[in-house]
Amino acid sequence: MKLAFTLAYKNLMGAGLRTWLNVGILAFAFILILFYNGLLDGWNQQAKLDTINWEIGYGELRVDSYDPYDPFSIHDAHKEYNSEAFPMLTPILIRQASIYPHGRMLSIALKGIPSDQTQLELPTSFLTPEKGTIPAIIGKRMAEAAKLNEGEEVLLRWRDKNGTFNAMNVTIVKIFDSDVGSIDSGQIWIGLTQLQAMTGLSNEATYFIANKAYSHQNQQGWTFVNQDKLLHNINEIIATKKVSGSIMYLMLLAIALLAIFDTQVLSVFRRQKEIGTYIALGMTRRQVVGLFTAEGSMYSFLAMLVGTVVGLPILSYLAIKGISFPDVTQGMGVTMASRIFPVFGIQLIMGTMVLVIVSATIVSFLPAKKIANMNPVEALKGKLQ
Amino acid sequence: MEKIISLSHVTKKFEVGDGYFTAINDVSLSFNAGEFAGFVGPSGSGKTTLLNIIGSLDSPTQGQAMVMGKDIAKLSHKDSAKLRNFHIGFIFQVFNLLPVYTVFENVEFALLLQDVPKDERKKAVMDALEWVGLESMASKRPDKLSGGEGQRVAIARAMVKRPKILLADEPTANLDSANAHAILKTMKTLNKELGTTFLFSTHDEKVMTYLDRTVSLKDGKVVSDVMNKNQKVKA
Repeated sequence: MKLAFTLAYKNLMGAGLRTWLNVGILAFAFILILFYNGLLDGWNQQAKLDTINWEIGYGELRVDSYDPYDPFSIHDAHKEYNSEAFPMLTPILIRQASIYPHGRMLSIALKGIPSDQTQLELPTSFLTPEKGTIPAIIGKRMAEAAKLNEGEEVLLRWRDKNGTFNAMNVTIVKIFDSDVGSIDSGQIWIGLTQLQAMTGLSNEATYFIANKAYSHQNQQGWTFVNQDKLLHNINEIIATKKVSGSIMYLMLLAIALLAIFDTQVLSVFRRQKEIGTYIALGMTRRQVVGLFTAEGSMYSFLAMLVGTVVGLPILSYLAIKGISFPDVTQGMGVTMASRIFPVFGIQLIMGTMVLVIVSATIVSFLPAKKIANMNPVEALKGKLQ
Repeated sequence: MEKIISLSHVTKKFEVGDGYFTAINDVSLSFNAGEFAGFVGPSGSGKTTLLNIIGSLDSPTQGQAMVMGKDIAKLSHKDSAKLRNFHIGFIFQVFNLLPVYTVFENVEFALLLQDVPKDERKKAVMDALEWVGLESMASKRPDKLSGGEGQRVAIARAMVKRPKILLADEPTANLDSANAHAILKTMKTLNKELGTTFLFSTHDEKVMTYLDRTVSLKDGKVVSDVMNKNQKVKA
């Protein structure tokens, strides 16, 4: 084995440009595979983290009748709670409402959240009540849709618990920038006590956000949806992306391996005299097959080396500085940051390395095994077809 | 004298289309250790085929070829490789030097296969290069050598492992007269000094003048077997 690798190394170094072209394309594929998968992993990790930090926390405790996918359920989805019974939960009350920005009418979900909460990254500290106005925060998507700016007032109309319409101006005190579109589009956030007072739903909430320490015990009239279930959609999107990532992964690898396979087929054909000479000098056919296979797998070792030297600084830079994406991608409905930081985990790197080395060895072996059936006399003459 | 090669009624046929071409036809010969002999004859007479069988690169269709007490037809791939690696050296018409290796590495190759320690290897390679007068060329690549130098490297490569038998297939065919004589003198010296059995395949008159024994072949048959130029051994 050592001999095969020693000779393979000499042969590859001696082959010059042919070797470096193969190594180059394999290293390029290696870097590209790492980059692409690292980017997806970074995006996934960021999407999950942002969703947890901005929207779902460590689970939601919902009123039984609340269905987030059914806007008609909102009307009745509220229930009284005893805040002492829910010390690790952040209550949120949702009501349907309308706003009238610049003469237009927009239906919105009016959400009440405690201004002193720290569970979610929403800037709720801006929701401190002021005289004569209702402070509200909105996301930048909402601000864009409603053409609202910070400091601007907008007329809000809602119904109280008896179904009576009320209206009042709210002041946009803060426009927050979040990657999570589902806490932004079509929503206005105001203080919970304010909303409870406005609707007459004192001490009532639609759902609670659980913190890390929360341990669920059955509560009458409330249903707990854990974090995994809430991340189900994201996980499904990630799984879909992983499939497309794998296809890309395999395509890149296939292109690189095709180059090695091609070289090996050509080598076995063009180097017949050399193969015959090896056998005449006393190598067994198996040793020659081993030598050619070692040459092929050594392309992958060299590619790893080149890939590390070239790729390490580039990928490290990208992992630290991130890659910016245009704002247009924010509106795609998927949680996507404007700057994604690729994550190059040890599992990804080692897995890719092993896959590249193993597959390069296999595609090198396939043409090389033809040598085992070669007639050395014909090989020496270079007459094999 | 030790009988090192013994061919008994050796026949070699090759498939050609629907029929067969008989390259060697019922050849019986034997060679003693240390002989400097050659097969001569026109193209297609079976010279190279005989060398290939003796070198265990091929095996007879019929008959028995015994080389150093081993029946070539019965050797496994591994055993025939071992026989070539330790006991048989080859010199080819077009030298067949490994292009990406230096002269030193080309000569060293057989010793690498034998797993000879590095220091011993180095000494043996330099000795072999000294025999052929190429010690100063050790770091050169084959493409930087002249034809004569290339063939001398091939001789060094074949001789470095001190084989019992050296098979040379038209070794002077690509050389000019001066280089051919130089090569033949070198081989003759090595034959005398190391006792290696040299077997040539040639139709070069120059080579024939150096041979101690000439086996003439025609259409795969031995037509004459002459010792010391004039002494007829067998017809």
